[in-house]
Amino acid sequence: MTAVAPPAKPLKPRRRAEIGRAPQDTRGTWRTYIALVAVLALSAFPLYWMFVIATSTDEAVSQIPPSVVPGGEFVNNLREVFTLQQVYFAASLINSFIVAIVVTASTLFFCSLAGFAFAKLRFPGRDKLMVVVILTLTVPNQLGIVALYILMGKLGWNGTLLSVIAPFLVSAFGVFYMRQFIMHSVPDELVESARMDGALTMRVYWSIVLPAIRPALAVLGLLTFVATWNEFQWPLIQLNGTEFPTSMVALSDLASGNYVIYRRVLAGAFAATIPLLVLLVLGGRQIVRGIMEGAVKS
Amino acid sequence: MERFAKRGVALIAAGLAGSLVLAGCSGQDLEGGSDKAAEGQVTLKVNFWGDMGLDKLKAAYEKDHPNVKIVLNSGEYNAQHEDLQKKLVAGSGAPDISAVDEGFIVQFRGQSDKFVNLLDKGAASYESKYLPWKWQQSMSTDKKTQIGLGTDVGGLAMCYRSDLFKKAGLPTDRESVSKLWTTWDDFIKVGQQYVSKTGKKFVDSGTNMFNPVLAQQPQGFYDESEQLQMDGGPKVAFDVAMKTIDAGLSANLASFQPNWDQGFKKDQFAVLACPAWMLGHIQDTAPEQKGKWDIATIPGGGGNWGGSWWTIPKQGKNTDEAYKFVEWMVQPAQQIEVFKTVGNLPSQPALYKDPAVLDYKKEFMSNAPTGQIFAATAEGLKPQYLGKKNGPTRVAVENVITRVQQGSLKSSAAWPEAVKAAQKAATS
Amino acid sequence: MSLTRSAPPAVNPEPAHRRAPDAGPKSRNWLHRFDNKRVPYLLISPFFLLFAIFGLFPIVFNGVVALRNWRLDDPTLTGWAGLANFEKLIHDDAFWNALFNTFGIFILATVPQLLIALMVANLLNRKLRATSWWRVGVLLPYVTPVAASTLVFAVFFSRDNGMANWLLSLVGFGQDAPLDWRAQKWSAWLAIATMVNWKWIGYNALLYLSAMQSIPKDVYEAAAVDGAGPWRQLWRITVPMIQPVLVFTVVLSTIGGLQLFNEPMLFEENPAAASGGSNGQWQTIAQLIYKVGWKDLNLGYAAAMSWALFLIILIVAALNALATNRLGGGRR
Repeated sequence: MTAVAPPAKPLKPRRRAEIGRAPQDTRGTWRTYIALVAVLALSAFPLYWMFVIATSTDEAVSQIPPSVVPGGEFVNNLREVFTLQQVYFAASLINSFIVAIVVTASTLFFCSLAGFAFAKLRFPGRDKLMVVVILTLTVPNQLGIVALYILMGKLGWNGTLLSVIAPFLVSAFGVFYMRQFIMHSVPDELVESARMDGALTMRVYWSIVLPAIRPALAVLGLLTFVATWNEFQWPLIQLNGTEFPTSMVALSDLASGNYVIYRRVLAGAFAATIPLLVLLVLGGRQIVRGIMEGAVKS
Repeated sequence: MERFAKRGVALIAAGLAGSLVLAGCSGQDLEGGSDKAAEGQVTLKVNFWGDMGLDKLKAAYEKDHPNVKIVLNSGEYNAQHEDLQKKLVAGSGAPDISAVDEGFIVQFRGQSDKFVNLLDKGAASYESKYLPWKWQQSMSTDKKTQIGLGTDVGGLAMCYRSDLFKKAGLPTDRESVSKLWTTWDDFIKVGQQYVSKTGKKFVDSGTNMFNPVLAQQPQGFYDESEQLQMDGGPKVAFDVAMKTIDAGLSANLASFQPNWDQGFKKDQFAVLACPAWMLGHIQDTAPEQKGKWDIATIPGGGGNWGGSWWTIPKQGKNTDEAYKFVEWMVQPAQQIEVFKTVGNLPSQPALYKDPAVLDYKKEFMSNAPTGQIFAATAEGLKPQYLGKKNGPTRVAVENVITRVQQGSLKSSAAWPEAVKAAQKAATS
Repeated sequence: MSLTRSAPPAVNPEPAHRRAPDAGPKSRNWLHRFDNKRVPYLLISPFFLLFAIFGLFPIVFNGVVALRNWRLDDPTLTGWAGLANFEKLIHDDAFWNALFNTFGIFILATVPQLLIALMVANLLNRKLRATSWWRVGVLLPYVTPVAASTLVFAVFFSRDNGMANWLLSLVGFGQDAPLDWRAQKWSAWLAIATMVNWKWIGYNALLYLSAMQSIPKDVYEAAAVDGAGPWRQLWRITVPMIQPVLVFTVVLSTIGGLQLFNEPMLFEENPAAASGGSNGQWQTIAQLIYKVGWKDLNLGYAAAMSWALFLIILIVAALNALATNRLGGGRR
């Protein structure tokens, strides 16, 4: 490493030259890269170690010093998880997919509709209603949780997948995000001229707005999917002890039985993480973009 | 970016289509119980905890009754009881058959209107077969409703690792070991010998001292008028637990948790107070320790720790079929089968005289005659009254013991804390 | 399941539209008036409708439940309780203990989280090779399910075979008596705060990064006169310039941090217990609400607790926003 370090003399003039340059125009030094590698390693380590335990035997799990190399037992451990009758793990993965996909689809549809209305249509009370949307963002979801449970009971939905889908069908963040995107990316003239030609609102939505906001739909879709998949508290309240848990509930079940075996628990945890890792690989840039755009606009 | 976005939308669309298909499929599954009932197909969901030896029984019953599918759902002990309570009040979602443990039976027999009265299904003929107190414990207070049929009782013994005893220079055969400890004080002395010789811990946890000692007392947490009585049995049991911890005998593992299970494998303790139902847990957790365990008598005399009933919540759709299965499970042949697979001691005294029980030698436990040992402890029992809040109270006091083990509470200051915690649990 | 039915296009004027050219001018007029006046409301109505049912109503109704006896284990015990639930709350040690824990963990988790995120953002705010690769990389913890990662950390921090204790033993701590992370408040808080920090640093770093990149470049040029090095550049220029986002993240982590549930819940050796340790060492308010509502089955009391939590969040978020504004705000 010392070999890479630039000698002290040429350092000073270079630095001086960089003064006044915006950081984003400054080239990263080897120090930057080393720090970033460290950050990345720390970010990845728990996942890696999850995998190590998920692939190990009981003996390897409890050995000191801990083993840091994956073993060969992943398939076996996974098979144990999937065949544990009381945990319904396979079903739970399917349930998680159902919930996440339905919520994502519904969020995309309703939020893009509302976002479009708020961005491009003129109607009395529009701005005030938008403020209401933004205000709802700040309400902590903890607040209504008891009453929501009672409500679900009255609807007869307690313990069903419906109960963990219905409250998440729309999101204020989604409406807000869509509105911002549509405002910036759909030209007013395009909408106006279409209306002059006699196109109805839904026609405009369908043939002008939707094609223009595909990137935003991808971003919002990914964020919604990840958030829904990872939802824990509400599904736990609703689905714990039923035959149709989501995978997060099944995981907590796996960790609370009378025969908790870490390699098994973490094999399950890893299995429930895989879909999101795939999403991160496929759509990581979109997720990054979504988070960064959300920040600027807020 | 743009290309991905398109793909993303297509993906989501495809996923949605897929999910609808799945939703359709699972819809069929969900309603399977009632739909198929019309054709005579019945699914029975059975809730319990740990290992009650049902895997073989399930297969056998399903074979003889092709129209019945049995779903076994083993969960965590406290959680299963809490969940049952929640579902009973909600009016739906309870299993067709639920095991209820001794520690919670009083709570549930107080809600006998939510359970099928087994007397209506013809259970009265079984009264004479059961230990009288076992039969009475699951009866409603007005003696008109029987909510459960007994499965097992938890007669007490002390399991020990004969191989570790040998290394410590202690006797290893069960008679000599039993003679080592007639009182709990003797037991602690033996433990101190073991610890000083080997440098390892002797017992798994203070809570697993507290529970059996409490079970040996004439009175538990509550008297029959539901008043908390901490100064009786609980005080005695708590003191033994504290002495054990103070003497440095406890490995301080939280029982039934992963580290406890690992403690078995890593020889972190050499004895374990074992009611009959504990044998199943030992052999499931550490199958490789076959022949290394043996069973001696427990210090301090007989007692009962745990033991369950099968109950049938009224909200089930197939209570007739459920009763048939429960009735079948408590027949001698099945009770003996369970006894042999996991060790649970039946609650029907006639079986204690049955050669299949009396002459049975448990191979895993160094061929110990588990039938003889546990039957002897179960027969002369004076059962304890366990209050409605027995379950939560026990958890609260166990937590105080855990705090002492964790070093965050001095043992000398622990008793008032235990009383406080128990009082809180009693009124929550 | 009737999921398929739950996605009703509230408005589907497609057929109407196709019919429109053939229809007479009168009906066309009517249609367009309807389209102008009513359709915008139809488009936003699904959001407001669903929010009213599953968001607003529960909040209002929660207030009602909090004032009533509402027990799941004793349905006969009903009726108005007045302020009894709130009175009980004030005298409940468990509540104050949970409040204390929540704040303790919140501070341990938020301050390092935001500071480190700032550092990471500063690292990312450079001309880098494989720019997006690094950005996606720091999001790894964000997409990992909390349930999954917490279970890893629970093993990591276990007393007897945990990696944390092994690392400590390497530097000479606890070789005779390994640290029981779950035994004491400070150690349990530290363990949980580690999990929260791990999860959210990358996410916040991206928020900061995005704000940093929208700082006009000439600001840096202007500051060059001072001869500010990179470190002073960060604190003197960058941080004050991204102050709105700082406020935003502080508020966000306040709302999230005070509702902390997943990590304390799954840190438990037996997650079904929801007790936050043998003496509630790390029981948070959200966890206590869960325990009171769905284990002690006392929904009325749980509802009162969620109101208390809401008030606390409101106050703390407002204070935080104010303080953050003050701290960075003097300059602009």
